[in-house]
Amino acid sequence: MVTINIDGKSVEVLEETTILKAAEQAGVWIPTMCHSEHLEPYGVCRLCSVEVVRGKRSRIVTACNFPVRGGMTIHTNSKKVQWLRQVIMELMLSRWPRVRVVKEMAERLAVKEPRFPSLERDEAEDACILCGMCVNMCNDVVKAGVLGFAHSGIKREVVLPFDERSDSCIVCGACAHVCPTGHIKVILEDYRGKKPEFTLGPKTPIYVPTLQAVPRVPVIDAESCIHFETGGCEICAKVCEPNAIDYSMQDEIVEIEVGQVLVSTGFDLFDASAMAQYGYGRLDNVYSSLEFESILNSTGPTGGKIVMKSGKEPKAVGIIHCIGSRDTNHHAYCSRVCCMYALKFAHLVRDRTDAAIYQFYIDMRAFGKGYEEFYNRLLDEGVTMIRGKAAEVVEGCWQGNGEPSLKIRCEDTLIGKFREVPVDMVVLCNAIEPRRDSDAVRRLFSISKSPDGFFLERHPKLDPTSTATEGVFIAGCAQGPKDIPDTVAQAGSAAARILSVIAKGEVEIEPVRAMVQEEYCSGCKICNNLCPYIAIEFLEEKKVSHVNEALCKGCGTCVAACPSSAMTGHGFTDAQILAELDGLMI
Amino acid sequence: MAYRTYLMVCAGTGCVANQSMKIKDKLESEIRKRGLQDEVSVVTTGCNGFCAVGPLMVVQPDGIFYQLLKETDIPFLVEEHFVKGRLVKELLYTPPREKAPIPKMSDIPFFADQTLIVLRNRGLINPENIDEYIARGGYQALAKVLTLMTPDQVIQEIKASGLRGRGGGGFPTGIKWETCKNVPSDTHYVICNADEGDPGAFMDRSTIESDPHAVIEGMLIGAYAIGSREGYVYIRNEYPIALERLQVAIKQAREYGLLGQKIFNKDFDFEIRIVRGAGAFVCGESTALMASIEGRPGEPRAKYVHTVERGLWDKPTCLNNVETWANVPQIIEKGAGWFSSIGTGDVTSDAWGGSKGTKVFSLAGKVNNTGLIEVPMGITLRKIIFDIGGGIKDGKKFKAVQTGGPSGGFIPESLLDLPVDYEELTKVGSMMGSGGMVVADENNCMVDMAKYFLAFTQAESCGKCVPCREGTKRMLDILEKITVGKGTEEDLVLLEELSNMVVESSLCALGGSAPNPVLTTLKYFREEYEAHVKDKHCPGHSCRELIQYIIDPELCLGKGHGCHVCAKNCPDGAIVGETKQVHTIDVMKCGKCGICYDVCKFDAIHIE
Ligand SMILES: Cc1cc2nc3c(=O)[nH]c(=O)nc-3n(C[C@H](O)[C@H](O)[C@H](O)COP(=O)(O)O)c2cc1C
Ligand code: SF4
Ligand code: SF4
Ligand code: FES
Repeated sequence: MVTINIDGKSVEVLEETTILKAAEQAGVWIPTMCHSEHLEPYGVCRLCSVEVVRGKRSRIVTACNFPVRGGMTIHTNSKKVQWLRQVIMELMLSRWPRVRVVKEMAERLAVKEPRFPSLERDEAEDACILCGMCVNMCNDVVKAGVLGFAHSGIKREVVLPFDERSDSCIVCGACAHVCPTGHIKVILEDYRGKKPEFTLGPKTPIYVPTLQAVPRVPVIDAESCIHFETGGCEICAKVCEPNAIDYSMQDEIVEIEVGQVLVSTGFDLFDASAMAQYGYGRLDNVYSSLEFESILNSTGPTGGKIVMKSGKEPKAVGIIHCIGSRDTNHHAYCSRVCCMYALKFAHLVRDRTDAAIYQFYIDMRAFGKGYEEFYNRLLDEGVTMIRGKAAEVVEGCWQGNGEPSLKIRCEDTLIGKFREVPVDMVVLCNAIEPRRDSDAVRRLFSISKSPDGFFLERHPKLDPTSTATEGVFIAGCAQGPKDIPDTVAQAGSAAARILSVIAKGEVEIEPVRAMVQEEYCSGCKICNNLCPYIAIEFLEEKKVSHVNEALCKGCGTCVAACPSSAMTGHGFTDAQILAELDGLMI
Repeated sequence: MAYRTYLMVCAGTGCVANQSMKIKDKLESEIRKRGLQDEVSVVTTGCNGFCAVGPLMVVQPDGIFYQLLKETDIPFLVEEHFVKGRLVKELLYTPPREKAPIPKMSDIPFFADQTLIVLRNRGLINPENIDEYIARGGYQALAKVLTLMTPDQVIQEIKASGLRGRGGGGFPTGIKWETCKNVPSDTHYVICNADEGDPGAFMDRSTIESDPHAVIEGMLIGAYAIGSREGYVYIRNEYPIALERLQVAIKQAREYGLLGQKIFNKDFDFEIRIVRGAGAFVCGESTALMASIEGRPGEPRAKYVHTVERGLWDKPTCLNNVETWANVPQIIEKGAGWFSSIGTGDVTSDAWGGSKGTKVFSLAGKVNNTGLIEVPMGITLRKIIFDIGGGIKDGKKFKAVQTGGPSGGFIPESLLDLPVDYEELTKVGSMMGSGGMVVADENNCMVDMAKYFLAFTQAESCGKCVPCREGTKRMLDILEKITVGKGTEEDLVLLEELSNMVVESSLCALGGSAPNPVLTTLKYFREEYEAHVKDKHCPGHSCRELIQYIIDPELCLGKGHGCHVCAKNCPDGAIVGETKQVHTIDVMKCGKCGICYDVCKFDAIHIE
């Protein structure tokens, strides 16, 4: 620590910190126009000039990069410093008279009309003021080396190499982020990162995977993170106070030995852009149910406020049921949960806004405990229920004031009329569908699926949680659409089944099962892939097949297929049967 | 084989441009024709300095100086001088306004008042032959250093000599070496700055062209003292001859084991690499130069950590100018005492206390003898301009001299007795710089001169920092306004204020010194600015917008009898009058090209 004197105040600061930081510590403001805490000082605007006195000598230095030394006396507001700032500001103001940061700084430094007319005036409001922050960000921090300066002197400008879109630009947007004037625009369609589960709100390579993630910690998407691309950036590590960021972490594959498995892999939401008539992905303010859920969430992108893309509250909201469900073109089944969450949406919209609410439904399926009552309450809350499947969503405008809006067209089957309802926001109740990787999962555990694509239970009424494969259980929407109480109930039952086996400590196996006579097995592996219960494995060290007795159901498929007659029923080898016959004949 | 006579033909850039290589070929063929090839040898040398009278040749050992040679002169010259033994008077040097030629080089004032240390071998050796350098005592200093001196002793010697940087700043070289050496690091670099971006200056080019080994030897000694194993020469690409000579010299030095590993069988390795600069003036600035070597854009950076501590690739780096390096072997050989006996002040207690040794200047502008000169520190400007330079051309009156290159200040007549000394020059608003020296006569407009040099630095500004980029541009705009007669008195105030601001707050020394020409002319020639602003008059008669060409009717008719030459030559058809009549200029049509002024044989045309 050293002691220095800033504007008459004595302060203790770490040696070698910059005058700017020391002044900040002392509560003294120094103007800057090219400084960012994320970047090494560049020292080009010279606005931070201050007067440093050591002994009899006084000199002008820039605060942003000049290191303090013990006993130094600094004047940040001497006559000379004021004069320098004034002239520098006049120069900047006369060149960029309309750039906001320049105007604001000039005002703060009481610089009014610059005394020189500039021939090189740049009248744009977002003109580049050549502070160099974008270039330094791109080269020193991001290390992408895309941006640079071209031409010297008064003609200096920031350029892309050869003035073209560069392939080495990783579209991180860091340059646009530091640019004080908004000169740089990043075209967001170019975002190359993974789409997080919720597509609303800002996207960054470091994010919390889902709104209610447990534990609620961010992850880094190595594919879009600058650091993994260029080795640079590391800004997240710099700002993380507990030092929790570890770039050396690797994906790991962990092997755990278990006796039983509960498959509860959930569902996918039907992609409504497949039904172009509803405008999802094409029209602004048409949301999927999950997106609307994130809008409602207090930790979501709008902080729980129901607003349109423009930031304004909607005047009317339409909620359309059965998108992809009960539709032979997509899924014939009913997704079971939509009616109720649609009612919940309506309730929350009523609660948080003054918007008119329309529900477009085929039938109202309020079948659970308390559900019908909730439906009746909503009718009392003044939600308009229109029976009839919406035909399409189109762009339109409010009659009367001409403001742009959306229109939902449908046939109201209760009054037998075609209707066109103007709304600002549309929420689609997308179907629940099997996960896109469910076939792979199925094969892994050797379980079947029902015609709708969900995993097949052993018996729909008597055994809804187990599968044809011993020790493999299913629960939740992986088995079929269901709401939270049903899922919890099914998962509880599966857990109980699993525990009962564990508690017993042993499994009963079928008396009728297959067995390999190893001395005859040629290791042809024909049986391996035939077994429907994946009970046969191949022992590499012995080069023979082996039957897992706990899995074998004794169906005999393998016995019939074995070309060497090595596979037989347990206790039913030829030798045993012949011996039994011998015994009988005595 | 020993020859009777050596013909030292200058092969510096200036003379080569004037066909000195053809002269050399012609000399050789003429000598062979007369069967003298075993007696007379033709040698090409580096720049001799007196470029104004090139192509030139010195006949040794007599030191006879022949100038302004043409290919067609050669047969006669060879016949007369080498066969008949008579001097060819027409080809000897005759001082302006005198009749008798001066045959001996050492008697010519241009050479007589010079003291040669850096350029001691110029014109005497073939720079592409290391043996000739060694024959003149070359590499003895290196041998002395490696066998008899410790690095610290070398540094002490340089410190005691009072040698200061010749590249501009005048930083004491010994202190720089010592600081660099004391920075702990696995690698130290030494760099030779041969960027020489000053327009019209060619001190460094000539030094390399005439004696490249002196620079290499200097760098070797410095490297030994600092503990460096790797050196760079940053040379501008526009210097092809210097570049080639340097490459040849490095190759020869390597062949002789003077570069490479285990030099003189000592535990000392050193290599030199050449880096070619793209030619931007600002690349001569130390941080920009290092950035350029590293392959980054050649822009200065704010350096509150000095390059001797963190320079090239963040390693401690010692950068010195060509001339600085070339002084080193001589200091080692002849001793610090000898060196510090030349020059001003006393450097024993304060390294900044004086200016020692010599300085090479490139003398240009309105003097009779332009060229490259090496003079002892402390010599007065008057002696340089009037004795060595032979006074002002065409008998005109001296007005000012600018020292230090494009960002040096103008010094008026009243200060001509100022000695050449770092501090003295700085005190009056100019600087030693790297050695440019431009003389202005009564016909130069000082506002225009200031504008000319500011236009150069403005165009060379890298554009990184606001004061230099924006400030010099506005200054130039104001100067432009003044020279076209639209300036106001407020403009003068603003110009001065801007100049001071740019000096105070620019990031590098380019901006920090660029306003010097403006500030000094404002100080010493303010009346000229005021004439432009108040009376819309240009006292130097050079600002086109403010002058008029007028024909004196009496001279036109009385002396010239209305010769009509002016009218014939006027590109604008602005001159009216018939032969044998008085001619007049139509002011509306006149484009002020000045052609009539030059063609009138009777001085009948005046500028007002
Ligand atoms: C704009 C600018 C241009 C410069 N150009 C040169 C140059 O061409 N050659 C040179 O030796 N030094 C030049 N210098 C000075 C160098 O920065 C540096 O001071 C010098 O090379 C150090 O060597 P010295 O101590 O031997 O003088 C320049 C400085 C500035 C600010
Ligand atoms: S978005 Fe492209 S140009 Fe901007 S900082 Fe990132 S890599 Fe550089
Ligand atoms: S584009 Fe923005 S960040 Fe980049 S130099 Fe210009 S003003 Fe600064
Ligand atoms: S903030 Fe220090 S120079 Fe710009």
